[in-house]
Amino acid sequence: MLRYTGRRLLEAVPLLLGIVTLTFLLLHLAPGDPTTAYFNPNIPPDVIEQMRRNLGLDQPLPVQYLDWLRSFFTGHFGYSFSQHRAVSAVIGDALPNTLFLSGVSLVLIFVVGCAVGIVQAVRQYSATDQLLTVSALAIYSVPGFWLGLMLILVVSAPPLSSWLHLPISGMVSINHDYLGPWARVVDRLRHLVLPVIALGLASAAGIARYMRGAMLEVIGQDYIRTARAKGLSERRVILGHALRNALLPVVSLLGLYLPLLFGGTVVIEWVFSWPGMGRLLYNAILARDYPVVMAATFLFGALVVLGNLVADLLYAAVDPRVRYEGR
Amino acid sequence: MKRRPGRFRAHGPGGPDAALAVFVLLVATAWACGGGESAGGAGSAASVPDSARYGGTVVIAGRADLPGVNPLVPPPDYMAAQFERYVLFMPLVQLGPNFEPLPWLARSWDASDDSTRIVFHLRDDVKWQDGQPVTAADVAFTFRKAKDPDVPFPNRAYFDRWDSVRVVDAHTVRFWLRPYSQFMYAWSQVPIVPEHVLGDVPDSALATAPFGTTSPVGDGPFRFLSHAEGDRWVFEANPDFPAELGGRPKVDRLVYRVIPDEATSLAELRSGDVQLYLDLPPDQVEDVRGDSALRVLSFPSTSYAFVAWNTRHSPFSDPRVRRALTMAMNRGEILRAVRHGLGSVATGPLGPWHWAYDTAWRPLPYAPDSARALLAAAGWKDTDGDGVLDRGGKPFRFELLTAPSQVRRDISVMLQSDLAKVGVALEPRARDFAALAQAIQSPRRPYDAFLLSWSEDLVIDDRDYWSCGHLDDPLQFSGWCDAALDSVMDSIPAALDRARKRRLLRRYAEMVERAQPYTFLFNEDRAAGLRRSLRGAEMDVRGELRTAASWWLLPRSR
Repeated sequence: MLRYTGRRLLEAVPLLLGIVTLTFLLLHLAPGDPTTAYFNPNIPPDVIEQMRRNLGLDQPLPVQYLDWLRSFFTGHFGYSFSQHRAVSAVIGDALPNTLFLSGVSLVLIFVVGCAVGIVQAVRQYSATDQLLTVSALAIYSVPGFWLGLMLILVVSAPPLSSWLHLPISGMVSINHDYLGPWARVVDRLRHLVLPVIALGLASAAGIARYMRGAMLEVIGQDYIRTARAKGLSERRVILGHALRNALLPVVSLLGLYLPLLFGGTVVIEWVFSWPGMGRLLYNAILARDYPVVMAATFLFGALVVLGNLVADLLYAAVDPRVRYEGR
Repeated sequence: MKRRPGRFRAHGPGGPDAALAVFVLLVATAWACGGGESAGGAGSAASVPDSARYGGTVVIAGRADLPGVNPLVPPPDYMAAQFERYVLFMPLVQLGPNFEPLPWLARSWDASDDSTRIVFHLRDDVKWQDGQPVTAADVAFTFRKAKDPDVPFPNRAYFDRWDSVRVVDAHTVRFWLRPYSQFMYAWSQVPIVPEHVLGDVPDSALATAPFGTTSPVGDGPFRFLSHAEGDRWVFEANPDFPAELGGRPKVDRLVYRVIPDEATSLAELRSGDVQLYLDLPPDQVEDVRGDSALRVLSFPSTSYAFVAWNTRHSPFSDPRVRRALTMAMNRGEILRAVRHGLGSVATGPLGPWHWAYDTAWRPLPYAPDSARALLAAAGWKDTDGDGVLDRGGKPFRFELLTAPSQVRRDISVMLQSDLAKVGVALEPRARDFAALAQAIQSPRRPYDAFLLSWSEDLVIDDRDYWSCGHLDDPLQFSGWCDAALDSVMDSIPAALDRARKRRLLRRYAEMVERAQPYTFLFNEDRAAGLRRSLRGAEMDVRGELRTAASWWLLPRSR
């Protein structure tokens, strides 16, 4: 297992290097640079030139590339052109926020998705099943940003606004710093509600579909009939025997959902004013903030690679037949 | 200028005339009632005694984070500049309604008759938020840094005519300059920064110094409290702010929240978690008006939308063609449709916000027939009957570059259909902003025309747009110049007499309007959405935050 993990991590190195190199080339192929992104009639050309020099943009491309690689390997990723501080600090502010949002979403997606899927499979063709199938399909087809905006509109208007008092944007309330420790936690969780729903609902619907299918397949197996024949309660049959096997194909989806989630944050963070990586990346691209774009792309890439690895390892953990040793 | 050419904003019913009337009214009110309530049910406000107006938090929603509040480093940013000028720091002077300098950090000043020497007498009761006094050394320091070629100060042009400085004593500072009519303007725009904090920072590290983003030390009516990147800035009332200048601000805290999405911003304003929504987009103005708890403040800004013609390219080199294209555009209709009337049809490079603006100016009329006649006179006729004019076998087609915002796209499409009616084929091409900015400044000038909107400085000096001596400079978009215009423009900065200056500015504007190197589409008004519980807010071309220190909240809303 260790050897396998090590090999996979080693394989990721050229992949990630390829990602950043491609990003670098694409960025510099795009017309414009950080100084054109805020052109202003009041800035004399010599000041612009000097800004370009300060940013190292007057160097030939290969030199800029090597410079970036060097700063990358020393761990601080260079300086953000638009935020005037080390990229590591910029990322350090934004990444935890995104991981918080997408981590909570990921857990809820799987818990809710699996629960719904199991209920549907157990009551196949019942009214509940059919209702859930139709709503899952509808929800799956709704784009996240639209769902987000609708949630905001519905929640911020009476009567829901006076019942729920749910915050519709940001990570914490204005008076957050003046709250007690417990109230702070509650405040953060309340701010999570809408973004998590907007980010995760469609994915949860997808997982539910997978789970329903996988569960149905398992329920039809001989050993389930055997388990029932032994006189086990239905609850133990489903949760003890069927669930573990039905989870196998669903767990492998984990790796596939990670990139989807990170992609989703770009839009969801925008709609809910969430100061995370998605918005950071979007703004950095518009401002041609090369070092930030490079670092953010690298991190997203690394997280996806890592996510895939975790999914594969989880697969081995839940399925005794899967062994990576010696392959 | 990241923000400026970025978007169009607007509000209001009626066409350009109505908008103009609204504007005149607004200006009149603003001018007339200096310190009073500018708008919104004064009934309950009058009953709140001054002593009960203190307290509460005002949350301001803005679309993007402030890039930083260090006045010495780029990028120049419309909102950040206002926080620097009106909230966190103090410039030497503030601008009055007619852009005349009023005492602020400088208690008074004596200028020599030829305005080549000036002595500023500073207030002695102003302190930095770390307790150090604000002194003449800070002023000299700010000036030297602004002039220093190694400091990327974006507005160095402000101090072109300022030569040297000497600290006379702790609160007196003397400058030498060359004659210049608007010599005080720079000191209203550039706040003084603390030498004891920034003095040790090398020039090369100034842009990345934490002073700009995480630990500014100010002396203004509000103090810096915290900044969470991409999320919020928090300022608190400065209890030591000189009483003579208004004393401690009424509200306890000022929070600038970044809410990028427009629908979210409006929902937050409605829910009461936001008291002021800056840069209200035109299509939300009616929504805000329709809510009894909210109101709209709109005011003329220095920004205008224009189509720049590349006169280096063949059909656009002919002034008749440019004039015809302008007359073929139904600008009033576009203003109504896209900006919901928030602005006025432009009469040239000088907008109605400027004191030299001539109210007798009328925009070129929308007259497709005259446009067709002018084009025919220039040799453009539809000889092959395909609906597109041609000359020498070449059809009249061109590309209009623009940025990919919805508003720009709407304008381009309306222009396309207007021009099609006179037989000119316009093809809109959207580029993202950085790419557009590069294309239009490139020495190759690879465009026929582009659509942009941006804002002027309060002091008009447009020599970088059209000047025969600098046709290769990046901002000479149209490549058009006129020697007679050059001499007018050159004499504007040195015109010390206001009447003469007004004559020159009007002359300048009329000459440009006659030649139409740009089609000036419209002057844009800015709008803000406010909760009615927020009082004391006055906004005009000098900015949204000018009166921030005297804003107050109705007691029941705190």
